[in-house]
Amino acid sequence: MNLSRRNLLLGAFQGAGLLLLSGCEKAFNSLQQNRKFLSLLESAEGANQRLQRLVTGKNKLAQEFTEQDISRYFKPNGNPPPITMDYATDAAKQWSAWRLEISGSVKQPARFSLPELRSMPSRTQITRHDCVEGWSAIAKWKGVPLTEIMQRVQPSPEAKYVVFYCMDTDDSGAHYYESIDFLDANQPQTILAYEMNDRALPVEHGAPLRLRIETQLGYKHAKYIRKIDFVASYDNIASGKGGYWEDQGYEWYAGI
Amino acid sequence: MEKLVYRHNRITRTTHWVNALALVILVMSGFQIFNAHPHLYWGSTSEPDEAFLSIAAVNEDGDVRGFFRIYGWQFDTTGVLGVQNTEMGPAPRAFPSWLTVPGYFWLAGGRRWHFFFAWLFALNGLLYVIYNIANGHMRKFLLTPKEAARLPAMILYYLRIRNKSPQEGEYNPLQKMAYTSVFLVLTPLIMLSGMAMSPQLDTAFHSLPAMFGGRQSARSIHFILTFLFVGFTFGHVFMVLATGVLNNMRSIVSGWYKEKGSNLPEPVWLQGFKEEMIQKPAKLPVSHQLTSPEVEEIIPKQETLPARVEPAQQDNDISKSATEDAQISPESSQQTLSTHNNEAKKDIVE
Repeated sequence: MNLSRRNLLLGAFQGAGLLLLSGCEKAFNSLQQNRKFLSLLESAEGANQRLQRLVTGKNKLAQEFTEQDISRYFKPNGNPPPITMDYATDAAKQWSAWRLEISGSVKQPARFSLPELRSMPSRTQITRHDCVEGWSAIAKWKGVPLTEIMQRVQPSPEAKYVVFYCMDTDDSGAHYYESIDFLDANQPQTILAYEMNDRALPVEHGAPLRLRIETQLGYKHAKYIRKIDFVASYDNIASGKGGYWEDQGYEWYAGI
Repeated sequence: MEKLVYRHNRITRTTHWVNALALVILVMSGFQIFNAHPHLYWGSTSEPDEAFLSIAAVNEDGDVRGFFRIYGWQFDTTGVLGVQNTEMGPAPRAFPSWLTVPGYFWLAGGRRWHFFFAWLFALNGLLYVIYNIANGHMRKFLLTPKEAARLPAMILYYLRIRNKSPQEGEYNPLQKMAYTSVFLVLTPLIMLSGMAMSPQLDTAFHSLPAMFGGRQSARSIHFILTFLFVGFTFGHVFMVLATGVLNNMRSIVSGWYKEKGSNLPEPVWLQGFKEEMIQKPAKLPVSHQLTSPEVEEIIPKQETLPARVEPAQQDNDISKSATEDAQISPESSQQTLSTHNNEAKKDIVE
């Protein structure tokens, strides 16, 4: 190959490279919209869930930190606090009128007030919150373990998931919701938190009650909970993917 | 004299290209994920203002500027990093759309790609490792302490201070160091630092984030190791380009590599001439003296030629065939055809 040929070839490579870049971007974007290709990509989620839970084993505790490790700033992410009159009124009345409703496939549906929840056995933990975006923050949480609630309402055998209905909405008015399965519901650190860093749960962090599920990423930690439903399937809730972010394409299994 | 040798078998070629694809997608989808929070920290948490690295945008009186900041050193990178110029004006994003998968900002999509291709990368790597342990090839390129002791000598040789190469076997100590660090250090570390970010795995293995200095440290290390992979790949591609791109590409696509020299009995005067040439390593082109995972076998080394014929082909010794260009394949006559086709294609490309 002589020199001019080589230059020609290199020039061609450069041109091809530029074409390739913009072509690749278009190809990636159209693949991202392709339902079949997307379900191929999504197959990794089941593999992650099975393998991670297999090697982790049951009821392992997330690392707990000390008071010194608590973050100076904890970003309140997600939707802004609910702006409804009901929420504002309840907040002004220190949640005295607010009730946590437990329904669905349970032997004893119930409604709990905040003082009732506070009178149940509690768990306090200093844990790390990992956002799907990539950041982490440590805070101290106090709340009632979900297992305490389950003992009181007695889920039926057909119940497979615990669905959390929230009071916050996005711009379009869609309500936040989340679902977890019984493996995570029974994890000792899965609590309904009403205190953060030794104070009543602040409004921006989900007052009056939020979920802490330390095995999973931040978006599973439903805030502003008003109702907990025990269901056999979440297929018929909203878009059927088991959560607000899941309906938009995020993984239901957020352990990774 | 030139002849074609069957250098890479099907498993080597397949795992190579799957690996290449997986790495490209992993890096690009990784950039997409990074864009969701383009700051890096040391420790368990991400305290605001404690990021040691940021790729972000600032609004200077309506002028949106992108910057790259590392330990207080800030560089204006508008147009490439931090802010991308789009048809709709400057758009704040750490890595530009042409470097991310998918192209538009979509964290959920980036995660889907990343985790799928992480599986592909891991399983493909596993197949490669098992195969190369089974056929004994792995032993040839792992750096032993004995080989490590030869590293200074090898460097001196490349700097042309030392006359004689300390190389024994197919790979020199520097090559072995490069492969060993990728196989035994870089790959396990990038996988472990990725896993350390998983809250589920962290419940069972508290030591996983701890070994990196906390979850945010693991995230930072995962990011930094990415660039070591990228650097290694650039070095590799450079070597492919520098040592005969068409021949190299043919060998990793079809398996057949055109080698100068032959094992045929040669006139005595030619043998003597060659020995003289081989013993003057300083005359090798500079490009032959760098390390790269795929290129080392290109350097013709007379005494090891038979060893480079794939085991499966040994009983059908291709070096005995006297044809100049194409050899009759041990597999089928089809292979011969495709070899000729490759020759034809090569002419067209050139």
